[in-house]
Amino acid sequence: MTAHFYLDGREIPFQPGQNVLEALLAMGRDRDVPYFCYHPALGSLGACRQCAVKLYPHDDKHPPRVMMACLLPASAGLQLVTAESDVRREHAAISELLMRNHPHDCPICDEGGQCHLQDMTVRAGHRLRHYENAKRTFRSQQLGPLIRQEMNRCITCYRCVRFYQDIAGGEDFGVFGSRDRVFFGRLHDGPLESPFAGNLAEVCPTGVFTDKVYHASYLRPWDLETAASICPHCNLGCNTAPGAARGRLRRVRQRHHPDINPYFLCDRGRYGFRHVVHRRRPWRHRLRSREIERDEALDRLTDLLRQGETGFLGSPRADVQDNLAWLALADAYGAPFAAFSDPWQEALAREILALPQAPSLRQLGEAERILILGQALEISPSLRLPVQAALRRGAQLTLASVLPTALDRYGELRRLRPDGYVDAAGDWCRALPSGKRGVILASADALGPAGVHVLRRLQEDLPPGTGVVVAHRAPNLGGAAFFATDGQSQRLREAIRVGRCRHLLALAADPLGEDGDAPFWRQRSSALRISLLDCLPTTTLEAAELQLPMAAVAEREGVFLNYEGRFQAFARVYRPAQYHPHWDPSRSTFPLPAGGMREELALWEPRDLAEALAQRGGRLESFHQRLEFYRHYLCPELPGPGDPGSFIPDALRARFRIGIVPVPHSGTGRWWLSAFHWYGDEAQARFAGELQSLAPVAGVRLAPGQTQAQAMLLTSRDGQTRRYPIVEVAGMAADVLALPPSDLSDLGYHPGERIDALEESAP
Amino acid sequence: MSSPTSIADRLPSSVRTEIEAHLRQAPQREAAISDVLRLLQQALGYIDDDTLLYAAQQTGMPPVKVEELCSFYPLVLRRPAGRHLLRICDSVSCHLAGADSLLRQAEEISGVTLGQVAKEGSYSILPHVCLGLCDRAPAALVDGHAVGGFDGDALVALLASWEHR
Ligand code: SF4
Ligand code: SF4
Ligand code: FES
Ligand code: FES
Repeated sequence: MTAHFYLDGREIPFQPGQNVLEALLAMGRDRDVPYFCYHPALGSLGACRQCAVKLYPHDDKHPPRVMMACLLPASAGLQLVTAESDVRREHAAISELLMRNHPHDCPICDEGGQCHLQDMTVRAGHRLRHYENAKRTFRSQQLGPLIRQEMNRCITCYRCVRFYQDIAGGEDFGVFGSRDRVFFGRLHDGPLESPFAGNLAEVCPTGVFTDKVYHASYLRPWDLETAASICPHCNLGCNTAPGAARGRLRRVRQRHHPDINPYFLCDRGRYGFRHVVHRRRPWRHRLRSREIERDEALDRLTDLLRQGETGFLGSPRADVQDNLAWLALADAYGAPFAAFSDPWQEALAREILALPQAPSLRQLGEAERILILGQALEISPSLRLPVQAALRRGAQLTLASVLPTALDRYGELRRLRPDGYVDAAGDWCRALPSGKRGVILASADALGPAGVHVLRRLQEDLPPGTGVVVAHRAPNLGGAAFFATDGQSQRLREAIRVGRCRHLLALAADPLGEDGDAPFWRQRSSALRISLLDCLPTTTLEAAELQLPMAAVAEREGVFLNYEGRFQAFARVYRPAQYHPHWDPSRSTFPLPAGGMREELALWEPRDLAEALAQRGGRLESFHQRLEFYRHYLCPELPGPGDPGSFIPDALRARFRIGIVPVPHSGTGRWWLSAFHWYGDEAQARFAGELQSLAPVAGVRLAPGQTQAQAMLLTSRDGQTRRYPIVEVAGMAADVLALPPSDLSDLGYHPGERIDALEESAP
Repeated sequence: MSSPTSIADRLPSSVRTEIEAHLRQAPQREAAISDVLRLLQQALGYIDDDTLLYAAQQTGMPPVKVEELCSFYPLVLRRPAGRHLLRICDSVSCHLAGADSLLRQAEEISGVTLGQVAKEGSYSILPHVCLGLCDRAPAALVDGHAVGGFDGDALVALLASWEHR
């Protein structure tokens, strides 16, 4: 039997520990009591004074009194009233006060259509304005490319600063002044520095903070189509709700998932979607940069496949079923398939999948001891929120890394070279007090396959409840490794090396660019023809003979496997369309009734392309057989969009252990190589303009005082020399060069390897 | 343009020692922030941006946090002030007792808006939150000393005496 209290005579159930407002909101009753400063993730503050209810005590000693619902613990039998005139007066009066300085600019305010202030003002019953004096006004700040500020709309609920400082640990945003001159902002104009700044647009209940990127193609929220989607920018798999209209993706908002992202998104997840409108995005079929029709492209591919010299390349950026379709098509043609173009990445993915099920982000928030290895929080930014939550609960944090991190001031530091991670993990595990819930957050590339392997062995000896989370930027790392057999990447490369494969049919992959080992592919690019299906203008796309336009994540449906081993489905949100300002009779017979001419763009979902190719090649039956066989064998039940997701069974995980245990081999050289990550860097987000305008300066990072040089010259595995300006980073480990992962891939080196450098001095 | 390091150079060594003592005695360095700001303001007259950064560095606080305090407490000055400082309360009781006209009168006499330095550095006048002298409204702080019943005549006399020195 659940306990109840009463509001205006209605029974309201509640959970122990809830306050009255919380219990009402949990029931979806968000109009019973107006409120502003309460937010489920931020808790109660009692600042806005809007959520009044009248309490009738059960004794005769106390008179009935008006109290704040967000500060009143729910208890059984509580008698509460809002339908009496003094409560109504209170609601309306507070609302009038909050509206006293509010500008009447609703027609041009982006909050319109989702404005909590509008809803609550109407609910609270404020109709007539009595105050006649001038309104207080502020000068708003320029806060960078992601968030707009219109400070005059503020009602001082403090939600923004509580989120920014307390939840996200941001240090460049605060609350200034007192009395009626309270200002929420930065010390000076300038871009917000937190990787979670975009959430301000969602936590602010008014139009002070709005989404600047959405603003550029703004339509009222009620004009947007939306669907349950999954963030494609790292392996956490945060749940999202993209919004699109008239063939255009306009924004991404968070979608509640209790165990992953209950309320927030990182800025990569919110703004990374802008890659879908990058000006070099492939929209049409092209053969050596000549536009061709879809049929011609299919004929060509079918011919190539018939010649029997094709190898298939999948990708951890494509979803589970797309990789599966690629594998099934390869099978139907008896051709080699690999999900990874770099054996190192394949071994890494398989080692990660072989780990026991990782704790959820909610469980991470309850950890008592946390070890962070490398830049895990830059790779999968939303890991930071549960870590901050655990710190607020008193968790002890250890940070082992080459580079300084944003959390350095909260934990015990261990600065190390890339070869030190495994020891740091071992020491931490040995020192873990029994009975303490411990979690290790590791950056995948800092550890590499060998490091993850050791981590799995270490974890076997740890008490149950100790979890390992490995952060990686690919949204479907596990899902790509899922259908991979051990060593297939090596076999595909061997087939190419000996000339058995002369054509590569690649899916959302960038072997010539950032996928891990560009030199191998560069050296073979003259003898290897590449057909690439992708939505990004990558290095490989430039080099591909045949370009096939692919639907981006919000434009197709699919399933990703996240870091926990959780399958999550995403639905199609919209179909992209192009606008022609004038009617062109050669393209369509009749112009759209309004708005010029809209032409829906024909983009491939990889499965459909695979099916079309199987059909043209007369292999449809064996294609379907393979497809069904793998699907039933590995993932008989996949969740639908909006479902909380389902896990791969632990028993299956052992299957991914790799045959040859990787040994760390660093080679020789003056310097150790490490990856340098920042929160906006990921294959797709790299083409999101607004986000990239915040990227840190390019170059090679190293500790101060290690060289007098201005730049470093490094030689790639295929003998190409690259020049990197030097960026000194205070507090970084000595003898290490840190480069963005795409640069490491370009050189053909992996983090943890050693290299010699030529130093270029000032002229 | 000075920097946080040159702030340290500008401080008399006795002030530096005192700041360090406060930082040492505080349970956490952050806890010493109000003393640090007070000492800096005493020594330098007001807290400019570089001094603010210096205070942040000394206490290990983010500069935003220091500015949150500075902007909240009206006793902290973020702009240069005159040799004398008059703070006139404009909270509820004093407002009812005519603080508003007092402030307007002050602006007229000084010839500058509130917060600006008047009469070639002689004095500055600032509005202030409740001084806890509500029973003797209108109230003011005259160079740090609380005064009740501070009416128009008192204002005229005070500013005249300050102007001549
Ligand atoms: S800016 Fe928005 S969130 Fe912040 S206090 Fe004002 S109304 Fe609340
Ligand atoms: S943490 Fe990863 S999955 Fe979550 S919003 Fe950011 S990029 Fe997307
Ligand atoms: S929501 Fe209860 S006081 Fe603001
Ligand atoms: S209101 Fe002026 S002293 Fe209290």
